[in-house]
Amino acid sequence: MIVRPSLLGLATALALVGAAAAQQPAPNPGRDAVMSKCFQCHTDAMFRDQRQDRRAWEATIYRMIGRGGLYTADEIKLMADYLATDFGPDSRPAAPAGSK
Amino acid sequence: MRDLVARYLNHALSRRGFVRGLTQAGLTATAAQSVLSSVSSVARAQSPVPAPPSAPATAAKTVPAAAANTGNAAIKPFQGPGGAAFAEQLIASGVKYVFGNSASEDAQFYEALVDRPQLKYILTPHEGPGAAMAAGYVKASGEPAIVMQAAVVGMANAMGQIFNAFKEQTPLVVYSYRTDQSRRAGRDGFEEVPNQEQIVQPITKYTWLARRPDMIPETVRRAFKAAWTPPHGPAYISWHSDYNDERVRTEIIAQDQFDPRMRVRPDPDEIERAAKLLVEAKTPLLIVGDEVSKAKAVGKAVKLAEMLGMPVTQVRQLYANFPETHPLWVGNVPAGTLRSQPYPKNPDVIINVGNKFQHNSPAPIVPRGPTFIDMRIDAASMGNVMLTAVPLVADVGLGLDDLIAAIGQLMTPTLKQKAAERAEEVRKYAENAKTLRAMVANSPDWDQSPLIADRVTWEIAHFADPDAIIVNEAGSVAMHSFDFNPLGGRELFYYYGAHLGSGVGTSAGVKLARPNQQVICMVGDGSFIFGPTALWNMARLELPVITVVYNNHAYSGPHSRVISNVSGGRMVQTRQFVHDYLGNPDMNMADIARGFGVAGEVVQSPAQLREALGRARQHTVEGKPYLLDVQVARKGVGWADKPWIPPIRVAEMRQRKV
Repeated sequence: MIVRPSLLGLATALALVGAAAAQQPAPNPGRDAVMSKCFQCHTDAMFRDQRQDRRAWEATIYRMIGRGGLYTADEIKLMADYLATDFGPDSRPAAPAGSK
Repeated sequence: MRDLVARYLNHALSRRGFVRGLTQAGLTATAAQSVLSSVSSVARAQSPVPAPPSAPATAAKTVPAAAANTGNAAIKPFQGPGGAAFAEQLIASGVKYVFGNSASEDAQFYEALVDRPQLKYILTPHEGPGAAMAAGYVKASGEPAIVMQAAVVGMANAMGQIFNAFKEQTPLVVYSYRTDQSRRAGRDGFEEVPNQEQIVQPITKYTWLARRPDMIPETVRRAFKAAWTPPHGPAYISWHSDYNDERVRTEIIAQDQFDPRMRVRPDPDEIERAAKLLVEAKTPLLIVGDEVSKAKAVGKAVKLAEMLGMPVTQVRQLYANFPETHPLWVGNVPAGTLRSQPYPKNPDVIINVGNKFQHNSPAPIVPRGPTFIDMRIDAASMGNVMLTAVPLVADVGLGLDDLIAAIGQLMTPTLKQKAAERAEEVRKYAENAKTLRAMVANSPDWDQSPLIADRVTWEIAHFADPDAIIVNEAGSVAMHSFDFNPLGGRELFYYYGAHLGSGVGTSAGVKLARPNQQVICMVGDGSFIFGPTALWNMARLELPVITVVYNNHAYSGPHSRVISNVSGGRMVQTRQFVHDYLGNPDMNMADIARGFGVAGEVVQSPAQLREALGRARQHTVEGKPYLLDVQVARKGVGWADKPWIPPIRVAEMRQRKV
């Protein structure tokens, strides 16, 4: 019923940071889905340092369903693929806003 | 002479003896008769007679309320100790249960209970869970109750739950005496603190002190009137402890003689405006809140939504105030504002019926832009944050009656067709959303051990009776799969105030009020450990509640929020969090339950959970409470398998083996 800020914020946070850093990012439906589905509830502050593999990202997204997130199976796949690629265990953490 | 007056008013001296005493004291016979006349008139007008401290009243001298006849059945003259007057007035105010913790200065009250079995005292071993139990009873029964404890020391323990009652607008009445006795106050005595009532004033709707022993009943009536006049809230009353011992003449009066029966109809002009806005809206949205349940107006909210084909949602409240199986239900607002609500995307007219709106962010829950109609009895909290085009101050039951009637007048065949088309769109959305929500069970972690919290919730939801009551104090656990329905289906008792430790006590109180419905308490380990003493009440009173502890050995909520507040900081880099890990050693909640006389077990896997729920049901069928300590995985940013704990090693400081 009730949602507190939680994990998917990382995805959205990093997605935003990534989007801001790139001049014109290539089309990426997974990133688009993250941008449109996650920022309704989350900001980028919480999860800048989150790095995890695809399975963990997928589990994170499924965890948001109980908190009111609504995604199709295709959207979940796209988001998990994108997050695992850009925010997987070997990706470099993004810097907090304002830091060098 | 003062002593003579006291003895006369206390019936320890006859009129003749009183006059003789006055003349012996030097008054003339005429002056003595004059004093007698004055004193008698005072006695008739006020009837209080503070007994000398050396002559405390006894219960044996109590005159039962029914013994006297004033000609008005609602008024019963009373003579006896102040504590007995307190008990008599509680009965007259409709109280059946007293939730208390031992208080030596309430001796005369306890004495009075011996011959008043209709007033039942429930001893609670800690004032906090005791107050939560009382609040649960009040919320589930709709009947008055009182919480009482010893002086400021007990009151301080209850304050967390008084705070919850204040935030949640629960009509809880709380009493504690003042240890500074009226005849020896101000000397920093035992448990004495100045201005005791001021400590709770900011978290109560009303506080009042009895200034004389005979004013105890009046003070009790004031408290129940204030607490139960909408908008509800807790009331605190107090008096000097020696008032309970003093013999009083006073009146016990039925509470209904003081009930203002405040059921407010909304302004008809504002109703017309609201009706016009709603029928002309392209995308209206209805938000419901707890006043709907309190006014028993859920059916009316359904009718309003159906007339307009209007989608319905809810922002955080205590209760589920709309049937979640209804085709117009689009789900709870996921986060703090309507911006997070996936559907409808851009409502043009929003009506709130009975939701207090807990604003937790700078952004208003209802954004600027849509026309906002606010219908509530809690006028003080209206219009402070959101722009309100149409305020409807009303009992929402009456307000919905009037609004439904006004809309009915305006509905043309064209508008009805439009509403039907909108309802069909909402139904399609709701149907699809239901399908998508069911995908929660497709998580790749679904079968893991320790369990993910969603699996525990899903299992409980598929186990619970169709009319089960779910008490939820698992703040970091998502509520899904229950399909709450306040019209005869499952009911929810959530929390709003967030002083932890309410869940177990609340569920005990709910079960006391609703013995014929299954009650399941869902509670996080962090919350549970703040208030497990109510388990003892479950065992003693044979309250067959199933308590499920989501035990991840951590404060998950604070863990995540701290990282959010200091993202990219040293805590995350080093994985050193001082504030959130409750393991090492791990707490065994089933063992704790056994200590309170409640059977239970630790659950490690999904398969074990199903079997354990079956055993829990069997216990409750036999009238016994049961507890499941379900081992839940820690999920979120920054958790290690073996979390770091601050290196405080007293063993290294020890030089003596003592």
